[in-house]
Amino acid sequence: MTFSRYLENRWDDLLEQATQHVLVVILSVVIATLAGVVIGALTWRSDRYSGLAIGTSATLLTIPSLALLALLIPLLGLGWAPTIVALVVYSLLPIVRNTVAGLRSVDASILEAAKGMGLRPARVLWRVQLPMAWPVIITGVRVATQMLFAIATIAAYVAGPGLGNEIFSGLARQGSANALNQAVAGTAGVVILALLFDLLFVLIRRYTTPRGIRV
Amino acid sequence: MSEHGVRIQLDRVTKQYPRQPEPAVDNVSLDIPAGELVVFVGPSGCGKTTTMKMINRLIEPTSGEITIGGENVLALEPNELRTRIGYVIQQIGLFPHMTVRDNIAVVPRLLGWDKARITRRVDELLELVGLDPSAFRDRLPKQLSGGQQQRVGVARALAADPPVMLMDEPFGATDPITRDKLQNEFLRLQKELRKTIIFVTHDFDEAVKLGDRIAVLAEQSHVAQYDTPGRILAAPANDYVEGFVGSAAAIKQLGLMHVGMLTGLAELSATSGLPTVRSRENARDALDIMLRAGTSHVVVLDEQGDPRGVIGFEDIAGLLREEVSRVGQDA
Repeated sequence: MTFSRYLENRWDDLLEQATQHVLVVILSVVIATLAGVVIGALTWRSDRYSGLAIGTSATLLTIPSLALLALLIPLLGLGWAPTIVALVVYSLLPIVRNTVAGLRSVDASILEAAKGMGLRPARVLWRVQLPMAWPVIITGVRVATQMLFAIATIAAYVAGPGLGNEIFSGLARQGSANALNQAVAGTAGVVILALLFDLLFVLIRRYTTPRGIRV
Repeated sequence: MSEHGVRIQLDRVTKQYPRQPEPAVDNVSLDIPAGELVVFVGPSGCGKTTTMKMINRLIEPTSGEITIGGENVLALEPNELRTRIGYVIQQIGLFPHMTVRDNIAVVPRLLGWDKARITRRVDELLELVGLDPSAFRDRLPKQLSGGQQQRVGVARALAADPPVMLMDEPFGATDPITRDKLQNEFLRLQKELRKTIIFVTHDFDEAVKLGDRIAVLAEQSHVAQYDTPGRILAAPANDYVEGFVGSAAAIKQLGLMHVGMLTGLAELSATSGLPTVRSRENARDALDIMLRAGTSHVVVLDEQGDPRGVIGFEDIAGLLREEVSRVGQDA
């Protein structure tokens, strides 16, 4: 069967897997962004705690993804749950690191002016620092998203969702009729999705960055 | 209507940082009258900024008492205290992601003002600092010149009409021409508002120009002299103050005297060819004009531009002598 015939025949399945791939990545990135920004916001003031947070998330990133997923099976079983946990863990580093860097990049004089006006620290963070740090934070989220599109492929190993299933089953049936088509279709799908989202982030960044700090 | 200033008192205020042999500010007492602009002037690192920042508790005093309008500052919640004190710093610290309007509205919003009141206040303040509201309200800080940013900084500090303003070298980062303009506008503003203002600078000339009173501070914020600019120039308390006044004290003093103050202006005869000076200009300007024109007299014009009289070197020298002897008697 030619590749184009293959695509035609399996289009519905591929589309469903792609949709799931996107969903699992978005869900994980949203959770990781909330968690990462909170961690960054809690620790940026102290070298020690922010160092600890960044160091820990960097260490987590070094765990081979297959190993991490395998470790999560006894705790969370198969499917979406271990996949999302693993993806959140992997995306923390760029988000936490960029949140800390972004919050720290706000000029000391701006913070002094804010404090001198009687703004409480939480309000300074919410109204001044986070909006100003946003372009840096969103860049971290973008990097995390790119990474997750690739890593999410492994989810198929724990019967998780996504295009990984296509790739894995192709690789498992090497030599048989559609094995190559399957692996190529899955891989191409992941690459295309990652590129599309990268473009999307250019737009998100542009439209969520306050006008006054757009470059 | 705006709220006028209230009295500020510092009573034996000390700031001792841990693990430092000497206090940064040592036992400072100052009484700042309501509605006056008092300049803290001293060399870098003398503790003048630290002293000022203890008033809005950006720095907590180690001991001593500070009252604003009779109220003990240390008994108030710091953030609430700060909403009642305007604060302007050299770097201005405008929020770059907010429009001019939103920058000015920060404290009013914090205080829960309604939208209409905030809009009115923003426009009123922009006019007060000499910026056309319709042109500037929606601009972003990056679309403003340095001088315009500083004006917005002042407007923001005045937003909730605080009785007290603290200003830390607010014009220090601007070029001489802009600085001069900002100082003049600020003086005009203060004449109208009569806030109690503490203004920190290391520039003695700026202190003379702006201050109702000047506190010359030495190391650890020790008050070397606390007096009106005229008296500090005429009778410096000690060598330290004299050093700070610098050279040409007499000339600086002339800068404080309006030509219009000169009584008994000589008869207007044979004034053709003489240079002119406006009566609201100061004796220093008059002297400068004479020196440049190479004459010993200058014609004083009133506000309408009509000649009022003639003054010469002797008149100016006499004025200075009178001032010095007057100050000598006071002291």
